Amino acid sequence: MSDTEAPFRISISDNELESLKQKLALTRFPDELEDAGRDYGAPLADIQRLTNYWKDTYLSKWKEHEAKLNEDLPQFTRDIEVDGFGTLNIHYVHKKSTVVDAVPLLFVHGWPGSFLEARKILPLLVENSPEHPSFHVVAVSLPGYGFSEAPKKKGFGSTQYAEVGHKLMLALGYNEYVTQGGDWGALITRRIAQLYGPKHSKAWHTNMPLGEAPHPTRRPWLLLTYLLFKLSPKEKAGLERTQWFQEKGIGYFKEQSTQPQTLGYSLADSPVGLLGWIYEKLVNWTDEYPWTDDEVLTWISIYWFSRAGPAASVRIYYEVNNLTPEGFARNIETPIPVGHSYFPKELAILPRSWIKAANPTLVFESEHEGGGHFAAYERPEALVGDLRKMFGKGGPAFGVVPGKTGF
Amino acid sequence: MSDAETPFSIAVPDDQLELLKQKLELTRFPDELEDAGRDYGAPLADIQRLTKYWKDVHLPKWREHEAKLNEELPQFTRDIEVDGFGTLNIHYVHQKSTVVDAVPLLFVHGWPGSFVEVRKILPLLVEASPDHPSFHVVAIGLPSYGFSQGPSKKGFKCEQYAEVSNKLMLSLGYNEYVTQGGDWGALITKRIAQLYGPKHSKAWHTNMPLAGPPQLTQSPLLFLSHHLFKYSPKERAGIDRTNWFEEKGSGYFKEQSTQPQTLGYSLADSPVGLLGWIYEKLVNWTDEYPWTEDEVLTWVSIYWFSRAGPAASIRIYYEILQGSLQGVSQNMATPIPLGHSYFPKEIAIHPRRWLKAANPTLIFESEHESGGHFAAYERPEALVGDLRKMFGRGGPAFGVVPGKTGF
Repeated sequence: MSDTEAPFRISISDNELESLKQKLALTRFPDELEDAGRDYGAPLADIQRLTNYWKDTYLSKWKEHEAKLNEDLPQFTRDIEVDGFGTLNIHYVHKKSTVVDAVPLLFVHGWPGSFLEARKILPLLVENSPEHPSFHVVAVSLPGYGFSEAPKKKGFGSTQYAEVGHKLMLALGYNEYVTQGGDWGALITRRIAQLYGPKHSKAWHTNMPLGEAPHPTRRPWLLLTYLLFKLSPKEKAGLERTQWFQEKGIGYFKEQSTQPQTLGYSLADSPVGLLGWIYEKLVNWTDEYPWTDDEVLTWISIYWFSRAGPAASVRIYYEVNNLTPEGFARNIETPIPVGHSYFPKELAILPRSWIKAANPTLVFESEHEGGGHFAAYERPEALVGDLRKMFGKGGPAFGVVPGKTGF
Repeated sequence: MSDAETPFSIAVPDDQLELLKQKLELTRFPDELEDAGRDYGAPLADIQRLTKYWKDVHLPKWREHEAKLNEELPQFTRDIEVDGFGTLNIHYVHQKSTVVDAVPLLFVHGWPGSFVEVRKILPLLVEASPDHPSFHVVAIGLPSYGFSQGPSKKGFKCEQYAEVSNKLMLSLGYNEYVTQGGDWGALITKRIAQLYGPKHSKAWHTNMPLAGPPQLTQSPLLFLSHHLFKYSPKERAGIDRTNWFEEKGSGYFKEQSTQPQTLGYSLADSPVGLLGWIYEKLVNWTDEYPWTEDEVLTWVSIYWFSRAGPAASIRIYYEILQGSLQGVSQNMATPIPLGHSYFPKEIAIHPRRWLKAANPTLIFESEHESGGHFAAYERPEALVGDLRKMFGRGGPAFGVVPGKTGF
């Protein structure tokens, strides 16, 4: 098995930059209803401001942004063979700690995220200190995202994404490792735990903890306690947030999981269309994170300039929905220890008792007063703090990777 | 109270044609999975073919298409005052039959339809003959569609669309009239029937008959029959079609009824995005209608060049249904006679007994072996044939407009 690892630097061609510039110059905006606020979607004033900034300032400084990304995130590509799908060239960030026995950690993003989400936690994770564990960090770009190739065939589901993550770690010499993931990363790292744990995956942590609703025949006792004992104010707020997401925030999910190609024409062809589609999530899914225009546009640019194009990134919804319709909400149990971080503006916030019932191997929990769906980006210290507690000396997952305690 | 009508001709400004041309030239297409077929959305080969044709043939000949539309469809505009929303300038088609006592008929389109849907039925409806009734036809361009202004305030709901329509008919001197509608036109003409019938609206016909599933408490016998007696193969096929729509075909609905502004950025900015979004429906919702490129592109051009822009057209979903399909089948009863035409590829097909139970004033039914959602466009003779039977001599709604029998 030859090693196809090659260093990678983001280097968008002048042609692509010019094409984007021309498109931005031709942007045609919709109008907006008076006092729409955020109720009807991403606000027009925001999108116009961002588009003008993109066109007039950001794009002309792209080389600077690119250079900073390359500096912050050491990147590579290598070929990974996926059963039934041939070889995919996978892009990833890889940084080793100076601590030799650091814990190998695979970080898995979701949609509309990317490898970029590792940007702030990376230096904290690899940092050397006697007081907390260190990690060797691998942040994979999922197939179809960032600068990874996308599959060409139908049927690339959670099993395949898990296979890519796992094989990447093995290829890098990390026979045993731990994982961290949110959004699709939560589902994929759960799958890694089920398929490759405890032999390879030794423990997993997620900032998008899930459970199953109480059910008269499947979980009768849980239903009874739910009906008998009141929910705390926090749990009530959490269910309201969850309800908001299911009723008002799920249109993108429904379209992406049924007609991704149809949506793809817009996302591939229109920079402002892509911006609006993603920016709405950056605002609605975070806890009032004070996005700068540069941050938003760098985030969007990863999608605009992605190797497979933005349309490929939404197919995961279709494939997983087709192959495993119960998707996120069932089959949550894993054979390895799991840790949870609870952020109040996550999209699915379920009562703690439901979550515990679905996760019998839960060894670590940490609750936060602020933060949302993109925890690694919004609350990097909080998230890394949790990982340090979970895997550190005295923590419930200390030494879970034999010989690699993080010290 | 009728004023003189202001004649209207479609005359898209040159700069709009030029902008579209430039955008088409910069089109960036997504890729597509092997053997995707139509499963993932509008097929890439179709969209590429249509985009190329748009750029190279249809757009350069736009003035011919425009002229033909203007020739076939006598159009006008007039101001209509809407309570709480000020004055909206409404665009409509109006053609009187040579038969003086023709039946005044209001035709109401839906989404992604437009006044263009009246194109084929217009000559048939106004046609004079001793063998069948004739109609004076008004095809309204709903606010935010075609060349009608859109509301600038929030809260423009079914009542408002009904108000505009009724006021349009009254202003044209049609104090009493009948209606025909599908898609949003079905819900709006139902509301017209409820609010303005039987005083003004005397009978209504729809090609998208609606009913909800039987509820035990409301219709116990129907509920029982639902569970005890079999449905015919046709009814089963109809239920399957309805399920397909809800499971696979309602992503657009979910997004448009919760985050229309977000989607609007794509539809306003990207011709190929708009094309993909609409073309998928033109194929999936019809009964293998053999669309020509010109037909598709004229249809989509009405949206691209619309007065309010394509983003405005989808707000109706948010205003009226707010994310849930439930509202579609509620509150069905009207105080005036109703006629149904059943086409097998409609997107919601309910068992006949549900329809009869939900619509107590149902006096006409006609079943067809083929045809889909856009009945006026796909099966003009069939639809007009049904209207002639319903309103003609010996028909159940003959003479429903006093003094205007159609002969």
